[in-house]
Amino acid sequence: MPEKAVEVMRGMRGILISALALGSAIALAACGSGGGIEGGSSSTTASTVQIQGKPSGNLTISNWPFYIDNKTVDDFDKATGISTKYIEDVNDNNEFFGKMQPLLSQGDSGGRSIIVVTDWMAAKMHELGYVQNLDKSAIPNVEKNLVPALQHPGFDPNRDFSIPWQSGMTGLVVNTDLAPDVKSICDLFKPELKGKVDMLTEMRDTVPLVMKCMGVDLSKATEQDWLNAIDKIKQAADSGQIRRFTGNDYTRDLTAGDVDAVIGWSGDAVQLQADNPNIKFVMPKEGCMLWSDNMEIPVGAPNPTAAEAWMNYVYDPKNQAQIAAYNNYFTPVDGVKQIFEKTDPTLAKSPLIFPNSQFTKTCDVAPTIKGAEEQKITAAFNAVVNG
Amino acid sequence: MRINRRRLVPYFLLGPGILWLILFFAIPMYFMGRLSLDSGTLETGFHFDWNWANYHDALSLYKTPFVRSFVYAGVATAIALLIGYPLAYAIAFKGGRWKNAMLLAVIAPFFTTYLIRTIAWETILSDQGFVVNTFQSVGILAEGGRLLNTAFAVIAGITYNFLPFMVLPLYASLERIDPSLIEAAKDLYSSPRSAFWRVTLPLSLPGVVAGTLLTFIPAVGDYINAFFLGSTNNHMIGNVIQGLYLTQRDYPAAAALSFVLMAVIMFVVIVYIRIAGSEALMGEEAVAA
Repeated sequence: MPEKAVEVMRGMRGILISALALGSAIALAACGSGGGIEGGSSSTTASTVQIQGKPSGNLTISNWPFYIDNKTVDDFDKATGISTKYIEDVNDNNEFFGKMQPLLSQGDSGGRSIIVVTDWMAAKMHELGYVQNLDKSAIPNVEKNLVPALQHPGFDPNRDFSIPWQSGMTGLVVNTDLAPDVKSICDLFKPELKGKVDMLTEMRDTVPLVMKCMGVDLSKATEQDWLNAIDKIKQAADSGQIRRFTGNDYTRDLTAGDVDAVIGWSGDAVQLQADNPNIKFVMPKEGCMLWSDNMEIPVGAPNPTAAEAWMNYVYDPKNQAQIAAYNNYFTPVDGVKQIFEKTDPTLAKSPLIFPNSQFTKTCDVAPTIKGAEEQKITAAFNAVVNG
Repeated sequence: MRINRRRLVPYFLLGPGILWLILFFAIPMYFMGRLSLDSGTLETGFHFDWNWANYHDALSLYKTPFVRSFVYAGVATAIALLIGYPLAYAIAFKGGRWKNAMLLAVIAPFFTTYLIRTIAWETILSDQGFVVNTFQSVGILAEGGRLLNTAFAVIAGITYNFLPFMVLPLYASLERIDPSLIEAAKDLYSSPRSAFWRVTLPLSLPGVVAGTLLTFIPAVGDYINAFFLGSTNNHMIGNVIQGLYLTQRDYPAAAALSFVLMAVIMFVVIVYIRIAGSEALMGEEAVAA
């Protein structure tokens, strides 16, 4: 063969190979399309769980880490004969939702009978038809012992589909040694704290608190109020007033002395005090945000009978005291304080575990936002946090 | 029919690589491309409708971190070259019997994970830390000034983390230079300086091009350094894409940004290679061929 022809043949062979490779890639990909992250239908009519006879069998619970002592699950299994698998695979509402959504949209809970998510996510899952209504006849302890403050949240006024696991406050966590004068959310915007402030990436904690500083009544907050607050946060971030936006890792910045005051969670403050007694939870002058992490029974959940038996069990003050003594958040169950007064009087006095109504009277639950409004607000907030 | 076995050998050798790339590169790319043209939200479901607006929206919203990524990566690459070239030169020509030990020292940081090393910088550059205190007392840094969560910290972190990627190719190309060429230059009355500029440097250009590319390309997409060492004002495009995927769950926008990033990097690289000269990249072989 003449040399030229060989060259040409070689060139063509290359093209052929790459065409084949590309073609098979597309063919393979086409087989898979339609699946993956696409899909997802919404229905807002929730069914009610079917309770059948005496609880038994297997139970799988998804909860957040550091939320339960190491005895309660065994005690529950012994008391009921249920075999419980308690997994700590919820680390972040958004992330957990991202993982569960493809399953839930197909009516599958991935074997989970109970999941625990924060109020707004609980509401969102209900909105999308991903959770079932509870049969209240099987959870008399909840009816009897749920603290009044948590009985009628805006997103679930009758507690039809969500039962609080633990609650907490979002407010100021301050190094009182470095910044003794920080008493309000508005103080975080003062020039003397420039570069010494962290705020949370959790939008529903940070933005409503800033709205409170701006004098917005959260029960009447409009989309514009949210966007105004986000704008105020953006200006503070651009000018370098806010050092960074964090999750739990603001604890590092506080203990290292890199920041003086942050928007943070009450439970963390209790834990940080062990290292540095100057770090304190400060109730903002404007009030705090109250949140709960809620147990829900997702669609397709196996053995809802056992799931409700669990809910009923942890709402017995005796059992709840064991959990509350471990995690130091505030308990949604009445009667625990009386138990602590006998067993551990210092715990019974902590305002972070048992906040009296005077202490939290200016606090709010984050207002609900949804649909296009939620999308717009989230996009605006994330543009500040990310970029 | 008799098949010429020898002709098939290259395809057998290429097979595993091609299969791997189809599975883990071509197919994901196809899905990403498709996703970047979807509309809708995760809640309502995404549907494919050639929604080119995703590209425009994402770019106009995140123009600043986008440009910032290229600036930071460019500066970090330049600094890494300035630090890395003398280092590689010293190891290659003056290393003597310490050559291997010195090379090992360059690679040693890899024995610890990237994440831990970056987090360690948080402690080193902390406001109450030794570095900040020293800088403040000698007046480099104003009282109350800081290093952590600034552009300085992010660029310094990137430079540090990618320095070995610069040094190793530089070393490889410097090491290959035949010392007799430099001797020949000197025999022809060249001063050491002009021998370097006219002989050593041109011969090491392939290493310079490879090193800068190996540093620059991953640095543009890096988000770990900006996440730990930067503030919101120092976030790079990687942080934005991560946020869009994991918190906002706006997959189409994230996919669109990833594609734009890839396209721009490719464009920059092609222009760079054109300017730097492809012979430099290919080495002397290409020139000879």
